[in-house]
Amino acid sequence: MLSYILKRIFVGLITVFTIATLTFFGMHAVPGDPLLKGKVVNEVVRKNLEEKYGLDKPLFVQYGTFLTNMIKGDFGLSFTQQNRSVNDIIREHFPISAILGALAIIAAAIGGIIGGAIAAVKRNTMADRSIMLLVILFVSVPSFVFAALGQVLIAEIKTRVGVELLPVAGWGTFKHMILPSLILGLGTMAFLARLMRSSMLEVVHQDYIRTAKAKGVSSLQIFFRHQLRNAVLPVITFLGPAVAAITTGGFVAEIVFAIPGLGRYFVQAVQQLDYTVIMGLTVFYGAYLVFVVILVDVIYGFIDPRIRIAGA
Amino acid sequence: MSSLLSIRGLKVEFSTYGGTVQAVRGVDLEVHKGKTLAIVGESGCGKSVTVQSILGLIPSPPGRIVSGSALFNGTEMIGKPVNELNKIRGKHIGMIFQDPMTSLNPTMKVGDQIMETLLIHGRYSKSEARARAIKLLEDVHISEAKNRVDHYPFQFSGGMRQRVMIAMAIACEPELLIADEPTTALDVTIQSQILHLLRELQIKNKMGLVIITHDLGVVARMADNVAVMYAGQVVEHGTAEEVFYKSLHPYTLGLKQALPSPAMERSQLIPIEGAPPDLFSPPRGCGFYARCKQAMTICSDNNPREFYEGSHMGRCWLHHPQAKGVEV
Amino acid sequence: MDSLIHAFGLLALDMEVSMQEEKERVLTTQNEFSQDLFQKQVKSVQENLIVRPSLSYWQDALRRFAANKQSLFAFYLTNILILFSFLGPFIWTRNPSHQDLNSPSMSPNMGKPAVVVDELAPVIPLFAEIPVISTTDETSDLVTEEKAIGSVQNFKVIGFPTTQNVVLGWDYVPGASGYVIYRNEVKPEDGALGIPLGDVMEGNQISFEDAQSLEARDYFYAIVPKDADGMETTHNTVLKVQVMTAISVDSAKSLGVSSEIGTHVRLSSSPLGTDSLGRDILARLMSGGKVSLFIGIFAAVLSIIFGIILGGIAGFFGGLVDDMVMRFTDLISGLPFLLCMILLKVILNVGPGESGITALLISLVILSWTGTARLVRGQILQLRNSEFIQAARMMGAKPGYLIVRHMLPNLIGVILVTLTFQIPSAIFTEAFLSFIGLGVASPATSWGSMCNEAIQSLLTRPYEFFAPAVVISLTVLSFNLLGDGLRDALDPKLRSNE
Repeated sequence: MLSYILKRIFVGLITVFTIATLTFFGMHAVPGDPLLKGKVVNEVVRKNLEEKYGLDKPLFVQYGTFLTNMIKGDFGLSFTQQNRSVNDIIREHFPISAILGALAIIAAAIGGIIGGAIAAVKRNTMADRSIMLLVILFVSVPSFVFAALGQVLIAEIKTRVGVELLPVAGWGTFKHMILPSLILGLGTMAFLARLMRSSMLEVVHQDYIRTAKAKGVSSLQIFFRHQLRNAVLPVITFLGPAVAAITTGGFVAEIVFAIPGLGRYFVQAVQQLDYTVIMGLTVFYGAYLVFVVILVDVIYGFIDPRIRIAGA
Repeated sequence: MSSLLSIRGLKVEFSTYGGTVQAVRGVDLEVHKGKTLAIVGESGCGKSVTVQSILGLIPSPPGRIVSGSALFNGTEMIGKPVNELNKIRGKHIGMIFQDPMTSLNPTMKVGDQIMETLLIHGRYSKSEARARAIKLLEDVHISEAKNRVDHYPFQFSGGMRQRVMIAMAIACEPELLIADEPTTALDVTIQSQILHLLRELQIKNKMGLVIITHDLGVVARMADNVAVMYAGQVVEHGTAEEVFYKSLHPYTLGLKQALPSPAMERSQLIPIEGAPPDLFSPPRGCGFYARCKQAMTICSDNNPREFYEGSHMGRCWLHHPQAKGVEV
Repeated sequence: MDSLIHAFGLLALDMEVSMQEEKERVLTTQNEFSQDLFQKQVKSVQENLIVRPSLSYWQDALRRFAANKQSLFAFYLTNILILFSFLGPFIWTRNPSHQDLNSPSMSPNMGKPAVVVDELAPVIPLFAEIPVISTTDETSDLVTEEKAIGSVQNFKVIGFPTTQNVVLGWDYVPGASGYVIYRNEVKPEDGALGIPLGDVMEGNQISFEDAQSLEARDYFYAIVPKDADGMETTHNTVLKVQVMTAISVDSAKSLGVSSEIGTHVRLSSSPLGTDSLGRDILARLMSGGKVSLFIGIFAAVLSIIFGIILGGIAGFFGGLVDDMVMRFTDLISGLPFLLCMILLKVILNVGPGESGITALLISLVILSWTGTARLVRGQILQLRNSEFIQAARMMGAKPGYLIVRHMLPNLIGVILVTLTFQIPSAIFTEAFLSFIGLGVASPATSWGSMCNEAIQSLLTRPYEFFAPAVVISLTVLSFNLLGDGLRDALDPKLRSNE
């Protein structure tokens, strides 16, 4: 188990290193002067700025500095918001994104597992068909459409009935978090529900379910003790990629619902070509996502005895 | 000899994507207390379906018991509601399946799986059930049972898993143990051990045993009575000696000829040519007609009746009085 | 009671006896069957044949697919969407990037009437001739005069009411010291006259120009005369005015209609309305669809070809090659997808004014081939070890022949299914990126970027957002359903389960 974890972390580090390298050389290959961007800067100021951002040194020296700074956890200064460090931006805005993402993943996991289980148990009934219809709908309709739909609906209810169910945008109270996190979680919820359903159906046909029946175990006990547990296991492994999907999906939610999360800043930085912020946030997000996936796999390993005891 | 299980006229169908399969077409069987009945036949002849339908284990849909009865200790099993069946399953009738690799829950400790049976049917406390589970593991000759009880199925070899399955099946000391091809998935040396174990437990617990197999070697070793099944019907039924030495059905003869045995002093094995009939549309006549070397004109359109020599039954027109002159 | 039991017993005995007789009859009756039937039979081989009709793999797949209503529906829907985007512009010939600033943000309409106006024409207020009031009149008369201020008569529109201006005229009300003009969008009830537009300060002014943000719709104007003290009287007169869209002479010329001032023309219809720059949304949906579908289909096809080549190489050659290719695949698929999409897009998107389509395409292909490669490798490994390939190899088949004759036909089903799922996911990604403003950029448009442009005015003009949103959803939905249907039809493993 330990060697498995270490191996995974090693591969994860290589992935993050690849992302960092790709980001660094990629961003330096983008033509245009990062300092100018239309502004006229005199020679002295320019000299100072170049020194400040280390742009006067050769590319590989810059790369070295970049890597060592990354390892130290220092992501540098923003180009556009001068004197604001990327670390400050992360510290200030990432918690908001993290709360949003956590709520979304909780909603998605609970809804997906329950929905999928119901669909499997009530196979080929109206309940199953309606759940599967919702699943294909949630998988196919982009989250920004649902976000917009939610906003329009709440605004309509407000004008018609005069009651504001939930705030349409903004961040602060728990009420602000409900709509964005639900909508952010929808796609993942549908994905997990589909997975759960097929996993449940697969388990139903397993020999050990027949064995349990032959032992005289009641249907309810078979469902909880044998079926559910074995069916949920493969679903858990997909929570890692689900976190990744929800994190990047958060960019949209943060924009539509005007939430001051890190994703919105990232998108903004990309639009404004704020090089250090792009590089810093890409590496940060990359590392975060890669290690969340590893973390979920490791947790799974502890839950599934086959991996915990036998190793990967 | 008193009857433990008596099956009469059992018919089972499966509706599938390609049509309706008549898997079991009127089967009569008899198991006596403390005795072994072996059901022999090739894959798809309806052996497993027959025994699984007694415990209501046929997946339904697509499976459906069309008609028939199965009396276990005098109570009708066919059509019994599931909660009633659950009082018999595992307690009075134990069952072992073919593939020990997949028949155990992979994420549950073997001890817990054995204890599950005990806790459902008996008045055990957790610790008593655990002690009993360890005892059962010892009974099926698993060494270090105290440690093994907390292990997961994947930590056991195939033969050991089958022992665990047996321990589970006999936990409540059932009157009848059904073993559905218990040795097919195991290698030969292990097969022998498992058969030995079954025999031992049968004698110890005075169980009735139904053993399903396509291996005549197993039959010779274990069986008191033998039922030979072909295309969803019992084609021959009798004591092991009768069936082996005075076979009434050409199919049984064929099976024997296909069996490598020094006793038979054959230098060459004779396979049965062809394949069993398609049970989507079973033949009107004898199911074995197409492959039978002794087939007569009557066989193609008339399903043979049961002909008896004492209690020894053969479902073949060759035993009709009018067929006396026919050269075999 | 006893007799009943006795009767039953007799009946049972009876049955036993009759069964015995039956048995004996069978054994003793020699001619139950014709003796001919008990002849040894010589059989032909054909009697061994299985009677079920056999279908080839593709016949069976087609049959299954056609039997599935859902997948048929999806199949037609995808075709309709593709036709809509690629052939639609030949029927609906409006230029999707033509900005018509005369008709921005119009709600869906079937061609509104418009009137050609001269933008520079100044409107001069009209004044009525006030009859001279004799000073010698009695005061009592004056009082009655003041009290007698009535409602405005002959309240009318002068000229054409257009979105440029509405000129109102009326008859002079004797004694009025001025008028207040109101405008309302609904019929005024209970004195709710709407917004006070203006105060006419002089009693003898009998016209008023309204040029305040007019829209092409019905308005209810109300006029209230003021008394000598400048207080509003209680009399009001209401006039319903249907305001028409005004177009300038220049626009009329560019639209190719009569440019004479005052002519009524019919503006071309916008069944889905226009956006904030006056571009026809239907035409933009078509051109956006072309981009979205092009990216979706092309990226999917390219990434799958790439995946087949790499997966094929890995699977076919095995060993070290396989190891290297698969490590590379692991690395790429370990990258966070959307994050790297954004990054690649930034790196590849050279310079401003670039549409971003090529950059999107390349990024999509670079990042989404891994699934196909793994799948193809797995399938080929499986096939390589299968008996029929071994047999072909034994008979001296060359690798090229093996691939083309034996492996590809077995792979086509899987590849087709992957392709159908890759298309919606590419469209989805494109929409996502374009929506957050990092995808297709102006002047090119896609469904995602249309949504991006329309999100600002979501609450006031939802149709601008929901038109492209609905089409994206329908497209992704129908491709997903199509993929489901194909998988069900082509995957024999699923066949046995259901």
